Amino acid sequence: MVSTVTNSDVKQKDVDQAVVVAVTFAAVFGPEAEDGSTVYRLGAALPLLQVLQRVNERLLEKNPAEHQLFDVILITTDSWQQQQSSSIINSTRHHGLEISRFCFSTEDNYVESLMQNNVQLFFTTDGNEALQATHQGVPSAMLDKNSVSCPSEQLRVLFCENAIIQPNMGSTEASKKSAQNFLAHLGQMRQKFGVSDSPLCFTLVTSHGGKDSCCCALKSLRSLGVSVDEAYCLGGAPRGPILSLLRPHFLLSDGFSLLEG
Amino acid sequence: MSLDAVQVMSGQVKELKVSPSSNGDARGSWEGKEEFDPNQLELTTKPKPVTGRRARKVEGAVFFPKPENAVTVAVSSRVLFRTEREQKVFEQKGVEEYLRYQIEHENEPFAPGPAFPFVKALEVVNARLRELYPESEELFDIVLVTYNHAHVGIRLINTINHHNLFIERFCMTGGSSPIGYLKAWHTNLYLSADAEKVREALAEGIAAATMFMPEKLTEVSESQLRVAFDGDAVLFSDESECIFKTHGLDKFFEHEKENEDRLLDHGPLKGFLEVLGKLQKKFYAKGQRLDCPIRTYLVTARSAASSGIRALKTLRAWGLEIDEALFLAGAPKGPMLEKIRPHIYFDDQMFHVEGAAEMGTAAAHVPYGIAQKYNSQQKMSSGKTENSSFMTSPLTYRSSSRQIRYRPAGKLCSAYPEFTEPHMFSLPGASINRQ
Repeated sequence: MVSTVTNSDVKQKDVDQAVVVAVTFAAVFGPEAEDGSTVYRLGAALPLLQVLQRVNERLLEKNPAEHQLFDVILITTDSWQQQQSSSIINSTRHHGLEISRFCFSTEDNYVESLMQNNVQLFFTTDGNEALQATHQGVPSAMLDKNSVSCPSEQLRVLFCENAIIQPNMGSTEASKKSAQNFLAHLGQMRQKFGVSDSPLCFTLVTSHGGKDSCCCALKSLRSLGVSVDEAYCLGGAPRGPILSLLRPHFLLSDGFSLLEG
Repeated sequence: MSLDAVQVMSGQVKELKVSPSSNGDARGSWEGKEEFDPNQLELTTKPKPVTGRRARKVEGAVFFPKPENAVTVAVSSRVLFRTEREQKVFEQKGVEEYLRYQIEHENEPFAPGPAFPFVKALEVVNARLRELYPESEELFDIVLVTYNHAHVGIRLINTINHHNLFIERFCMTGGSSPIGYLKAWHTNLYLSADAEKVREALAEGIAAATMFMPEKLTEVSESQLRVAFDGDAVLFSDESECIFKTHGLDKFFEHEKENEDRLLDHGPLKGFLEVLGKLQKKFYAKGQRLDCPIRTYLVTARSAASSGIRALKTLRAWGLEIDEALFLAGAPKGPMLEKIRPHIYFDDQMFHVEGAAEMGTAAAHVPYGIAQKYNSQQKMSSGKTENSSFMTSPLTYRSSSRQIRYRPAGKLCSAYPEFTEPHMFSLPGASINRQ
């Protein structure tokens, strides 16, 4: 059964107004974590966790009574992980991570868990998990070795097509709706800061199609309340070189493209 | 033996509908019809109605070449379009107000800027290349690279559509340096209004130049791309320029004579001339040498009889053909350029850039080499306003540097009386006879 445990070290966020994001065990603690030690080493999600914390700090600086903050929960996605609950809690507290809750679920019910916890964005290092979650209406983003690996002061979100493998397979009406919801939140957070010195930076990259599809994407993002800071229209040029310069923390592709078939 | 300019240019007499510069004809239109609309150059803010778009006639041809195969020309929004009004808003009221203003005027296209005719000419060449080589990716690829925020994106895209430009790639970096993106796009030429960015690009080995908006822009050919280059510190390195600036004209001539057979080192724009030459050869291969839609010019203060020889030998050794070479022996470049009507002219000295711009040529400054030390001493204003204000400021320093440049030609060239006038001749087939 799924159990949810609160992390008493971390101040709990307002359930209604916070933007809940979930990160898998494998993303937080890295693949080499299964070596039997009680304190796990940190994995691919560390820079992301740090920068989400930074955004929260900046939001609170602006408005100490701010409730629209990122609320990070850790979720396990298989039975073995589910059984490591005490080690997980210990390690989290040991590293001082700002994770407010733990969801101990298995491969069969983690998506349900995500939905019950009102998760608006699900971070994982596993493509299948991402697909499954998206299919059932929870927007997902992949974290892998190409993600940002060093600390930064700014959360960089990249909007593009094909963020997840085979996005057309994963995308449904439900997932589009929830993605748009999440985007609206992001947009609102961004609005609280000015053009420069913002802890959030949104970038749009359109790989295929020309300027008109880029224009459509800009307009639809704007209609969701998201003002993009940087835009790159590649017109078929390879994405790799540009992505390596942009160094986004994660990629989003759902919910804004008007040209989906 | 005298060089008859007309004879030497006989190769082109048949196809040229226009008079070559040396004949001194009054400015006639390049083509029979006048398609270029001078109204486009007025600074008007009336929203222009968005006209119907011409259908893309070419089917199945390559529209999105791979960056490494194409000749990538990156232009910034401030040189492709005229954005003076918006610049003022930015300078006076800050970036938030500037962006708000841009969004408010989103459906008003910008007017064409100094790089606009150049970009249009690149498209003409592309159309010709596609006709001859429909599968080839060796085309001009124009990328808009601006450090504007994406908030301005929709207005820029609307403007591109309004003017029917074929630009399908762009980078809006939202304030961060575009240099990394220039390299990712394998940029062959970068044009910007910001001298700092241009210097950064040059330091990274990318050919780059700063463009300025002249008060008037003369009409240019709509069927032939014309690119003119200065020699020293543009195509060639500034080594000879250094000698001239530090030791004077006599030493310069001496040095050049001694080193006549030693090649000059390459300059920042050599690579761009090279890729132009490669594209030209594609036309030659299909028997279109006389009708080639690309024409290149060397416009240098060197003199044909002496210092110019080293330049020609260097170009020949590099395997680069340049269609026309003008050795001015110190004469002002403005009038010559006004006759050639290049779409763009590259020079490392602001003095020449301004002189060219005064006569309506789209001139671009290459901030490279020793001349920059002398440029900066004479700059009247600094910062972002330099490109808008200098065009109207009196060029009081011109007269002093002119004295250094001019030399009674008779003294040096007495052995070759026929070379006392600046003249031009075409390289292919031309020979320099020295008795």
